Amino acid sequence: MMTGRLNLAFGPPLAIFWLGLVVATFFDVSIPSFVWWSAAAYTLAGAFWHTIRYGMLAYVGKRLVESLITVAVIASATFLLLRVLPGGPFDSEKALPPEIKAAIEKKYQLDQPLLVQYGNFMVGLVQGDLGESYKYLGRNISEILAESLPASVQLGVYALLLAYLIGIPFGVLAARYHNRWPDHLLMALAISGVSVPSFLVAPILILIFCFGLGWFEPALWDGPAYYILPTWVLGTRAAAVIARLVRASVLEVIKADYIRTGRAKGLSESTLLFKHVLRNSLIPVLTFSGPLIAGIITGSFVVEQIFAIPGIGKHMVLSVSNRDYPLILGTTLVFSVILVVCNLLVDLLYAYVDPRIKLNV
Amino acid sequence: MSNIRILVFALLTTFLSTGCTKKEGKADYGLPLSETLRINILQEPPSLDWSKSVDTTSSLIENNIMEGLVEYDLNDPELSLVPALATAWKPNSTASIWNITLRKGVKWTDGVDFTAQHVIDGWERLLNPATASQYAYFLFGVKNAQKYNEGKITDFSQVGIRADADGNLVVELEKPKGYFPYLLAHHATFPIRKDVVEKHKDRWTDPENIVTLGAYRLKIWDHDKAIVLERNEGYYGEKAKTKYVLAYMINEMSTAINLFDSGKLDFQSSLPSRELRQLRSRKEYREAGTLGIYYYGFNTRTPPFNDVRVRRAFAHAIDRKQITDMLAGGQIPLSGWVPVGMFGYEADRGLKFDPELANKLLEEAGFKDRSKFPKIKLGFNTNEDHQRVAENVQAQIRKNLGLDIELANEEWKVYLASLKSNPPSIYRLGWLADYPDPDNFMNLMSSASENNHTGWSSKTYDSYVDKAVSMTNKEERRKTYSEAQKFLTEMEVPAVPIYSMVSQILVSPRVEGLKENPLTRYIFKGVSLK
Amino acid sequence: MSSRALKGHSLWYGGWLRLKRNKVAVFSGIYICILCLIALFAYQISPYAFDEQYMDRILESPNLVHWLGTDSLGRDMLSRLIHGARMSMAVGIITAIISLIVGASYGAVAGWIGGRVDAIMMRFVDLLYSVPTLVLLILVKVVFDSMPLFTNPELKALTGMLLALSVVGWVTLARMVRGQVLQVKQLTYVESARALGASGGRIVLRHIFPNILGPIIVVLTFQIPSNILYESFLSFLGLGLQPPFSSWGVLANEGWRSLRSYPHLIISPGLALFTAMLAFNLLGDGLRDAFDPQSR
Repeated sequence: MMTGRLNLAFGPPLAIFWLGLVVATFFDVSIPSFVWWSAAAYTLAGAFWHTIRYGMLAYVGKRLVESLITVAVIASATFLLLRVLPGGPFDSEKALPPEIKAAIEKKYQLDQPLLVQYGNFMVGLVQGDLGESYKYLGRNISEILAESLPASVQLGVYALLLAYLIGIPFGVLAARYHNRWPDHLLMALAISGVSVPSFLVAPILILIFCFGLGWFEPALWDGPAYYILPTWVLGTRAAAVIARLVRASVLEVIKADYIRTGRAKGLSESTLLFKHVLRNSLIPVLTFSGPLIAGIITGSFVVEQIFAIPGIGKHMVLSVSNRDYPLILGTTLVFSVILVVCNLLVDLLYAYVDPRIKLNV
Repeated sequence: MSNIRILVFALLTTFLSTGCTKKEGKADYGLPLSETLRINILQEPPSLDWSKSVDTTSSLIENNIMEGLVEYDLNDPELSLVPALATAWKPNSTASIWNITLRKGVKWTDGVDFTAQHVIDGWERLLNPATASQYAYFLFGVKNAQKYNEGKITDFSQVGIRADADGNLVVELEKPKGYFPYLLAHHATFPIRKDVVEKHKDRWTDPENIVTLGAYRLKIWDHDKAIVLERNEGYYGEKAKTKYVLAYMINEMSTAINLFDSGKLDFQSSLPSRELRQLRSRKEYREAGTLGIYYYGFNTRTPPFNDVRVRRAFAHAIDRKQITDMLAGGQIPLSGWVPVGMFGYEADRGLKFDPELANKLLEEAGFKDRSKFPKIKLGFNTNEDHQRVAENVQAQIRKNLGLDIELANEEWKVYLASLKSNPPSIYRLGWLADYPDPDNFMNLMSSASENNHTGWSSKTYDSYVDKAVSMTNKEERRKTYSEAQKFLTEMEVPAVPIYSMVSQILVSPRVEGLKENPLTRYIFKGVSLK
Repeated sequence: MSSRALKGHSLWYGGWLRLKRNKVAVFSGIYICILCLIALFAYQISPYAFDEQYMDRILESPNLVHWLGTDSLGRDMLSRLIHGARMSMAVGIITAIISLIVGASYGAVAGWIGGRVDAIMMRFVDLLYSVPTLVLLILVKVVFDSMPLFTNPELKALTGMLLALSVVGWVTLARMVRGQVLQVKQLTYVESARALGASGGRIVLRHIFPNILGPIIVVLTFQIPSNILYESFLSFLGLGLQPPFSSWGVLANEGWRSLRSYPHLIISPGLALFTAMLAFNLLGDGLRDAFDPQSR
């Protein structure tokens, strides 16, 4: 119980604050960077305090080290896989005279033995230097990523929020009216939601809302009228998954003994639902957030492409077709880090929320 | 709790009111709509460093912020050259030494006077091995240029370019080249400000550093989103009519067309081929023949295409008209090697569709029994249009020759790699002219060409090409190219041309003066908006 | 032993009864069977050859000759849709089977041996979870497409796709099977069989596998539609099947860009894709309700 009280003092206000920030970005309100920094600092400080308070420092430390190793392994594996890919970065329709090609390869140290290249890459990585793009001359990989990441993160966060916002209430509602028409209707919607590829939904929505009703813009990324459709396309798929998950989990919790006791004691159905059932049945949702974020990252490419959003998804695909090795490595690393961090966060939150979890230290 | 609710509600209403105010009469970046030409350049320009960039997106921007010594007259179907930074260019009697008179009084955007040294600096940079420019070979015709690029000489003064006492240029070529002036219109040979490049290094093309002298200057470069060009008020010639050019980078064509249709784009330079049937009927649609060819090459190293009769049989068995009808983008069937609209084009050149003759040739080659024909592959890079053409050719060969060929598509870079190491029996490629001279295309099949993947080479053909390059007599030159094409496309047939390329564009009715042209060289200074 | 057999029997029988009562699931099952038949006999039932081009009938809207119209090469859309079923189902099912074999054996070995081996094997699985799927899919697809592994044209067109999707797909199954094996391992009859000296492989195959078959079938039913979806996703990236073969994903991807100009190009493959995915998901739900003991 003590855990619960402490979390209430720290967690919810912080969550609301972050939510406010996200909503503000949605409406194109410019937020001074010190707000972002202080929010981040406060969150980190709070997390750190909790970590110490519950004696989880060792666990968190261990997980952090593991995450670093994971990222390093992924970086090495990708580096090797790239060299198996047929075709080089400087093959082009108009083939270059061999002397010129040799000069270019020398410039990018592609004439060095593989092991030396790998060594250089890893050393650079440790120093935080991802190198220079082969395709976009003179631009640093970190610079390219920093410029394209914000739009992607924005889209991803909106989609994730929308997914929770729709998914959780719908799931609860379906469970509340188990086997009655709202349940069937919502679940039919949810199944349909996961059954349509987003590149089919997006053009239809554009046709209706941009050319039919004229409410939103068909592409680009410059304000609420631009944000809504992409968020909708990317978010509803995830929402459908969450709704199904929540429904199943609520149904399971309802069957649990303490709920039956509560019901026998005469607690009202909604008190039961919101106070006891929901709290417990949201844990699977939390656990699922890792794969959910992974799914949103994968799906974001399609949405970014169709809506011409200047995000990082494009680089992920184009860099491979350009054989822009440093950029492929850079995007892969960024996404792995996001995934690793999200998984770590989910695990930690899980541990905070549910003190029953045994931590394998 | 209720306090929080009120707070949230208040916040929401403010956001809604600020967020939903529409920006009337404004394009993005706060530009006035009536003075902004909005175009789509499809992708982020890989570089605006004109000595290094190699792609069409970059050159589109470069050609508008910079200028070469000469410029094309885009209104002239023959694409004659008109003065730009140079006012005159004259060869000596053998066309091996060129005297280039420079325009006086031209200023860079930072106020510095343009001089001959800037041109020399540009060429030095292009050829310097440290620059590792992919277009360095462009100037290999200049005396000692190749040696300098390969590091065999390190003294640039030995390279055949120098300024004379009047501040004009003298260029000495290795051997005479009639098309040399065309090279001067290409961005690779543009002058450059060495001091700016050295000062800012890799950052010199950033808007705050770059120094140019074209009709526009680079105002904003918002990477992966858009580029904004602004009229250069100090331009030496007639000033640009439209103040701003806003160039988006949208590579999904259907998305770009959506934006065009909702009035957010004025110009789209690349259209989805499948939609052409419909788009062609629109009043915004325009098309123009492009100096480019689409062809299939044979791997002549191995059977069956080591036999010229089989190659000719295939050339006779493809009905090019059917392919261009299917593509429906105005492409013109091509059987000779020089594209429509270029000096040296001949409509009657090459082997025409003749299935009977094709079968006869195939039987002469010993394939009366079709089952004896080796298994062959037709390779192309993964792309919807190439696939449509390949599938059509596959069906035509089946119908006209009774042979089954296998299609093999590969991802672009994989395809390029296998063209070098192990080309398929038939391969697809295209070629776009860098400058409007047939040597561009004829040289493609010479023995020395890096782009000839057929394995076929011929001394006879090489001598035609070599001879024609330095000819100054136009008619004689035309005759030589005619003979070379006859040899290539009728006798030896290492490759089959399919069609002459076309570019399709959409231009909004509010745009005036945007000229479609065979080089797809879009210059915006003469564009005005209604 | 006999009690186990009885338990197994009642489990399957009870499950079957529950499934039969679920009309939606039964209907979905029938629909999927029909799709499978269409896929198997695609060459026999399609009205035209799928790659025959009718140059004078390019991009026709649905009519009496071509019921679903023709595409940009004048090919009959209905025939292409029928052959698309063949390719899509092949991608969905074969990939699921490959993932099952690889994933189940991996998970079973890890779960059965346990200890350090299990820890290392699962660390590898965790690692794969942190690799961005998209990059992995693209790289593997490009690498394997360039390797000539089969001569049969249909199989050749499929290879890269199957392998790429399997590389991504087996991980889920490995995790699930390991979890199940860990659970079942502690059950009394398995422990007694172990005590009686039965070999590890024998116990896993004879005792554990039948017990976890239910959950596996359920996961497989969900894997198939997700494979089909991923396939369409790769088609979107321009990394679809090798032409002239086309799946629903390839067709849908060719079609969505033409929604405003030639809607018939997207409507039929879109609907086919949607209904098949729906059927698999609904059947999966039904199977889970019926056979997965945990959700009962």
